[in-house]
Amino acid sequence: MLEVKDIATAYGKIEALRGVDLRVNDGKINCLLGPNGAGKTTLMMTIAGILKPRRGSILFQGRELVGLPPGEIVGVGIALVPENRLVFPQMSVRENLVAGAFLRLAKSRADVERDIGRMFARFPRLEERAEQLAGTLSGGEQQMLSVARALMAQPRLLLMDEPSLGLAPMIVEEIFEIVAELHREGTTIFLVEQNAHMALKISHQFYLLDQGRVTFSGTPGQLAEDEVIRRAYLGTSQTD
Amino acid sequence: MVDFIQNCLDGVMLGSSYALLAIGFTLIFGIMRRLNLSYGPSIMLGAFVGTLLYLEFQADAVVVAAATVAGAVLAGMYVERLCFWAIRQGAAAASMVSSFAIWMQLEELVTVFFPERTYPFPPLTEAEPFSFGPFFIKVENLAMFLCALVLMALLHVVLYRTRFGLAVRAVSENPLAARFMGINIGAVMFWAFAAASALGGVAAFLIAGADAQITPLFGLWATFKGMIAMMLGGMGSIPGAILGGLLLGVVEAQSLWYLGTEYRDLSAYFLLFLFLVLRPGGLLGHGRATRERAATHRV
Repeated sequence: MLEVKDIATAYGKIEALRGVDLRVNDGKINCLLGPNGAGKTTLMMTIAGILKPRRGSILFQGRELVGLPPGEIVGVGIALVPENRLVFPQMSVRENLVAGAFLRLAKSRADVERDIGRMFARFPRLEERAEQLAGTLSGGEQQMLSVARALMAQPRLLLMDEPSLGLAPMIVEEIFEIVAELHREGTTIFLVEQNAHMALKISHQFYLLDQGRVTFSGTPGQLAEDEVIRRAYLGTSQTD
Repeated sequence: MVDFIQNCLDGVMLGSSYALLAIGFTLIFGIMRRLNLSYGPSIMLGAFVGTLLYLEFQADAVVVAAATVAGAVLAGMYVERLCFWAIRQGAAAASMVSSFAIWMQLEELVTVFFPERTYPFPPLTEAEPFSFGPFFIKVENLAMFLCALVLMALLHVVLYRTRFGLAVRAVSENPLAARFMGINIGAVMFWAFAAASALGGVAAFLIAGADAQITPLFGLWATFKGMIAMMLGGMGSIPGAILGGLLLGVVEAQSLWYLGTEYRDLSAYFLLFLFLVLRPGGLLGHGRATRERAATHRV
């Protein structure tokens, strides 16, 4: 579905991505692991069109994304749940959802309203707080809002940048249930996670990003067999 | 007591024009997090386009108003392209300094063609002041106040009821998140800048019309009054700009009456000083923490 080929992205002289190759599989939960500073967020920002890569190509269903403005990338069906949620704090929950459907707003307001109804059915807590300012929500609620807002763009591929960051364990579980549910409904997911234990429970495909390169790619089974990765990301070894 | 209330009435009406100027400033600051010093001079240029038509062709007030707004918007777009669009995000000081350069440029341009100190401007109204109980109300001030109210209501509708308004608010709250939604932030900034300039153009027409004259120094005056009112209210906040403008108007009117003309500007600066020391965020400004968070979320 999404094919990343030899992507290199730099901040000035610092190369954050140094030739990343990976393939996000259609209809699966694909998970990108890696230590802090590996370039995970940079890769997400590059796919979303916020950062321009120095070289390489990103094909989405056969279409080249490199060079497209972020708005067109949303338009072809890729939405991002950003790191740290980034809800609009001074807007109500409902307005945040409308903003998520910004590109569709000109076409049909009624469709957008219908989708807001769907989001409220899926996330009843957001409906309870529909007119509340997003900045007053708890961290978990903001994360739900951020997911719902991204879904308002009707994406075929949902990018999620560390959705569990800074949330209590129970909330994290709730978020992962939502991810699994979205997958069952047919959305392809490309997830960045530090919480490897949780990611292992739901993901079908793993990639390990280290110092700007993909150093491992495989299934959960293959991941679990790799002693080095087990030690580094799961904190266990086979002798435990 | 009657004097005090009369001063408050005068102050609120005067302050409504400050509020309009401050709204223009705060719209630009809120969305770009950068200060546009040439805001005043660009609306001054608009007012001189109006004056030119008035002097040369005896154009009537409606034409002069349209020309003033059009001139202000064109000058504003010029400033946006040169000082804000051309300078990349993050270089806030460069934008401010270059907008100062454009200020000088616009002021020089106008003084080349209009070397006198003042020029006539079509008066808003010829009507005499009327009394209302023990109070006197100047018709031109009342007209200014009512126009300001209508514009503020209009702005509110645009910001809270339209797609463009949603985009403006999204960009001013978090430009990065706005880009993730597919909002073209360059276009939003450009049109918000144009809208702020149009508001400024109306303010210039009202203020110059109430005085029935215009001076090239109007740019300096408008930048100062607008900036002070914005800072009193809280930078980036539209209700704050309105409150700040009205507060500035009332304080000026009171000191004009009780202390004398020479204290009018002094008291305005003193008020600003007090705010900067005691409440640097302004009346309705965001706390420092949220502002810093907003700053770190930008790319």
